[in-house]
Amino acid sequence: MIGPSRVAELEMPGAGVETAAARPAQSYWNESWERLRDNRLGMAAGVLILVLALIAVLAPVFSAVLTHYEPQTINLDQTFVRPGASHLLGTDELGRDTLTRLIWGARVSLGVAFLTVAMSLSVGTTVGMVAGYYGGWIDDVLMRLVDTVLAIPAIFLFILMSILFRPNAVTLAAIVASVGWGSVARLVRGEVLSVKQRDFILATRSIGARDSRLMVRHLLPNVLPVLIVAASLGVGQIILVEAALDFLGLGIQPPTPSWGNMLTNAQSYFFHSGFLVAFPGITIFVTVLASNIFGNAVRDAFDPRLKSH
Amino acid sequence: MTQPVLEVQDLHTVFATKEGTVKAVDGVSFELNAGETLGVVGESGCGKSVTALSIMRLQRPGRIVSGKVLLKGQDLTRLTEYEMREVRGREIAMIFQDPMTSLNPVYRVGWQVAEPARLHHGWDKKKALQSAVSMLGRVGIPAPESRARDYPHQFSGGMRQRVMIAMGLTTTPEVLIADEPTTALDVTIQAQILDLLRHVNREFGTATILITHNLGVVAGMCKRVVVMYAGRIVEAGPTKDVFAHPTHPYTWSLLRSIPRLDAEQHEPLRPIEGVPPNLVDLPSGCSFHPRCAFKVERCARDVPVLLQVGESQRSACWVTQAGTELKGA
Repeated sequence: MIGPSRVAELEMPGAGVETAAARPAQSYWNESWERLRDNRLGMAAGVLILVLALIAVLAPVFSAVLTHYEPQTINLDQTFVRPGASHLLGTDELGRDTLTRLIWGARVSLGVAFLTVAMSLSVGTTVGMVAGYYGGWIDDVLMRLVDTVLAIPAIFLFILMSILFRPNAVTLAAIVASVGWGSVARLVRGEVLSVKQRDFILATRSIGARDSRLMVRHLLPNVLPVLIVAASLGVGQIILVEAALDFLGLGIQPPTPSWGNMLTNAQSYFFHSGFLVAFPGITIFVTVLASNIFGNAVRDAFDPRLKSH
Repeated sequence: MTQPVLEVQDLHTVFATKEGTVKAVDGVSFELNAGETLGVVGESGCGKSVTALSIMRLQRPGRIVSGKVLLKGQDLTRLTEYEMREVRGREIAMIFQDPMTSLNPVYRVGWQVAEPARLHHGWDKKKALQSAVSMLGRVGIPAPESRARDYPHQFSGGMRQRVMIAMGLTTTPEVLIADEPTTALDVTIQAQILDLLRHVNREFGTATILITHNLGVVAGMCKRVVVMYAGRIVEAGPTKDVFAHPTHPYTWSLLRSIPRLDAEQHEPLRPIEGVPPNLVDLPSGCSFHPRCAFKVERCARDVPVLLQVGESQRSACWVTQAGTELKGA
């Protein structure tokens, strides 16, 4: 239809005017990224999370190079070794190296946390988008379902589930996500309700786009900021939940090391070998703190109005 | 006379609200001929936009309760949603009032202008983008190649409206519906956009429905005009005749309420008394009668229909249909 050759011949009215008005401005994503980058504490927390994630992924390498121990190897000659040259963070009641177990425990704690966030986000986003976009009875049904899910006393559900299934990282994530998606769905629905009022949605419908295209290509990118914020704030929370479940014996079962179940073992030796409590405790504390600081930094970066001064 | 491209017949669109049913479009009929620009004027809330959206079947949450929308003889109100999607953007394109919010902020402009062609012609990214760039050039965007890589917020309002027009034209539709395309723009940019629309109309032969509340825009752009009030068409005819001898008191009052440079002396402006009616609870008879300077007893009783008045015009008014000319006071 319209060949480029024809273009040159055509003189359109008003061509070339207005260039001065089209000043370059920064995109929302660029601005947010710059705000995040300027937040030193937030960036430090983010880097820490990244390092921990790297350690978790490369746990076999780290334990081989750094500690030379296996996480589950029992050495009854070397029990309750104080932190020192041979065992940097000491050993537990069965002579297992604490640092090695913390490194392998990161796999469980961070793995479950990221997996849980991924699951709640994908289910929650889908439900929230469908409810918000279609509205009407679909919205009613889905949101009442969300209300129901959020009314379930989570801790009892977790206890029941871990009795029924012997939890591993994946099932544990699924169990925690089975209630976590509700709040994500609410969040996304609210955002969709506001975005869908905007003219470009109507404009996109007017060019003949399908509902699915509208939702995935046009609505989703516009609700992405709230998802990113929800994800980064969610990680810290879920690490705590997971540690609590492990501690109560409802999560990852020994001998697989996790930060939570290391605390369970250590509590018997609280006065005898306090470091066995301190190291996993500090690890959990620092990780959750870093997640929260990073999450807040991300939120501030995306929505500067929320920042409290 | 050849068949009109688009024919709207006795269209009724309603909205259910808590207060009651709003008849936003109440028996609207008009036709749009190939290549022409038809003006639709009226004040805010008179049903202009809902009429446009109903043609596209995008009137949600409103409902089309009766009437036909014939595109080249095919009734759009009977199409399935799937078939209707093929019409949207391919046969009929639409331009909206606010170019600042009509583009998706997260995509590059070229991607968005290419979208209709990708949807309807099944072109791949590269081909669609090429045609988008060439179209951006044709609607007067300088350096289209590099501008296509920019995001909407990097464009001014006028440039964005050009982008919207380019997006509408990539699939060479039969009909272009421009819903108040210049209302959100400042005056000099308005003139440029109207120039562009006129040019597009000539160049592409796209029949255009121009919705506006600006009588000056209609006078400059449209050979024919329909005037809407409270969901109905109250007057229709050639713009020249309608402006010279309005045959409906509403048109008459509208024309008297705009300032004129060629006025003989310093006439005061005469606003139309009263406010537009509540669409939930319309006045009996002719909806305009409470504000009308010419009303007779019958106006409050019977609803007038659109009938031939004079040579070329049609009017829904008992007074002018009886032969009275609108003058003075």
